[in-house]
Amino acid sequence: MSLSKIFLGPEREKAVIPWSLKAFNFAVAFALVAFVFYFSFHQLASPLGWEPIAKYHSMYLQGWLTTIWISVISLVLSTVIGLFFALARRSRLLPLRYFSSIYIELVRGTPLLVQILIFFYVIAPAFQVENRYVVGILVLCFFEGAYIAEIIRAGIEAVGQSQFESARAVGFTRAQTYRYVIFPQALRQSLPPMAGQFVSLIKDSSLLSIIAINEFTQNAKQVNSYTFSTLESYIPLAIGYLILTLPISLWSRWLEKRMKYET
Amino acid sequence: MKNSLCAFAIAFGVLSCAFAAFAMTTTNPVRAADTKDTLTVGMELKYPPFEMTDEKGNPTGISVDMANALGKFLGKKIVIQNTPLDGLIPSLKSGKIDLIISSMTSTPERAQSIDFSNPYLKTGLCLLLRKKSNAQTLSDLNVAGRFVAVKQGTTGQLYATRNIKQERLLVLDDEAACVLEVIQGKADGFIYDQMSVYKHWKRHPDTTRAILKPFQEESWAVGIRKGNKELLDNVNAFLKDFRAKGGFDELGEKYLKEQKDAFKQLEIPFYF
Repeated sequence: MSLSKIFLGPEREKAVIPWSLKAFNFAVAFALVAFVFYFSFHQLASPLGWEPIAKYHSMYLQGWLTTIWISVISLVLSTVIGLFFALARRSRLLPLRYFSSIYIELVRGTPLLVQILIFFYVIAPAFQVENRYVVGILVLCFFEGAYIAEIIRAGIEAVGQSQFESARAVGFTRAQTYRYVIFPQALRQSLPPMAGQFVSLIKDSSLLSIIAINEFTQNAKQVNSYTFSTLESYIPLAIGYLILTLPISLWSRWLEKRMKYET
Repeated sequence: MKNSLCAFAIAFGVLSCAFAAFAMTTTNPVRAADTKDTLTVGMELKYPPFEMTDEKGNPTGISVDMANALGKFLGKKIVIQNTPLDGLIPSLKSGKIDLIISSMTSTPERAQSIDFSNPYLKTGLCLLLRKKSNAQTLSDLNVAGRFVAVKQGTTGQLYATRNIKQERLLVLDDEAACVLEVIQGKADGFIYDQMSVYKHWKRHPDTTRAILKPFQEESWAVGIRKGNKELLDNVNAFLKDFRAKGGFDELGEKYLKEQKDAFKQLEIPFYF
């Protein structure tokens, strides 16, 4: 094997890697990862047994579907919340601006676990919200919303001040400036990190299991306590989440590349 | 030149990682555990007064005292390993711990995975209800719109899975969370053992009520890895000796005086 097959030449960044080389080197890296896993699992004191788990496949499927619909709703809602607070943080109405700052810092600085417990056992009952799925989705949305707000704000602020001024000079209103000048450019900056945030959102939804929401992780935990086979119960969980997160992750990678060309 | 150096460095790194992995995993943990002169006891330190920690975080409680007495009996050092309830059996099977003394009920399902000593305590599953609930039995709770809380990994959960519809079950990680669900009226009842139900009812008399008559009798036993016959015999010998010397009565007096007296008054037989 000659070195030219695994090394990029000095002109590396500009060179387009041919498909065959890409596939070959990807296979090498993948084989290395597979080897470590195979080797480690091979050394297990008690070999894995899948029969007790197989019985519960419908529980896994149900949980997986619940995780999907919770994530989809949260994804949309948290984007709306994020957009609102990103704008509120730049608002000329000062109480709104500071409210937004407090919310973002409070949410980003505390563990989701504590937020779920406080929201579910203290705030929600005070406002007569009884349905635990509604509460769960709301907590998740407000948690992710704070991060998305910061991502969008960073995107807006990356658009230079001169553009605001130019837009004003040609007679755009504030709304028009945002609609036609700022947002199209901010979106370009914000989309890739936002896709990354959506990956986190899907995984963070697993914490909702502590308030007995029957999502994917909760159901795997239950299978674990029925079968006492920890590894066998949780490995399908990893695969199930990967099926959801990997496409988004690849999509974010693709967006990053595309946006780079356009600026 | 630079490229080949890099390639060499990478190849060397990968190889040494593989060797390190090999060297670390060749000792079989199960065999290593049996020959030690320490016994690692797994328990979840979340179940006072049986398994808990003192103010400084040291393990204490009935099970800890039992484990230490066992260590004295066998002349071995005891190490307590705090492990979540649903992780105890996997830890025992994989050799991370040698024994389970964690108020664990011996059930046929669990006995398929591990061996149990002779039972050392009898108790039963009963119900903590919210004060306003008019239910009298568990089946009164198996109705649409009602919810039953259970703790993950307990026999209460196993019992509920067989007798209550899945969509009416709230499976939580914490005993305290289950009680909170009942207090707040989010759950109508909580299935747990008599001693704990009594304790929670006494602590929250305004929001809860207890039905202490058990609908399933259970007995607790020490869990031991399958095939570890020698340790199993030793533990059984210890339990017999400990009972004969009045060790269990002493522990009951030390940790459970209030419940013991209350259960006598309610004419519910007290275990140990």
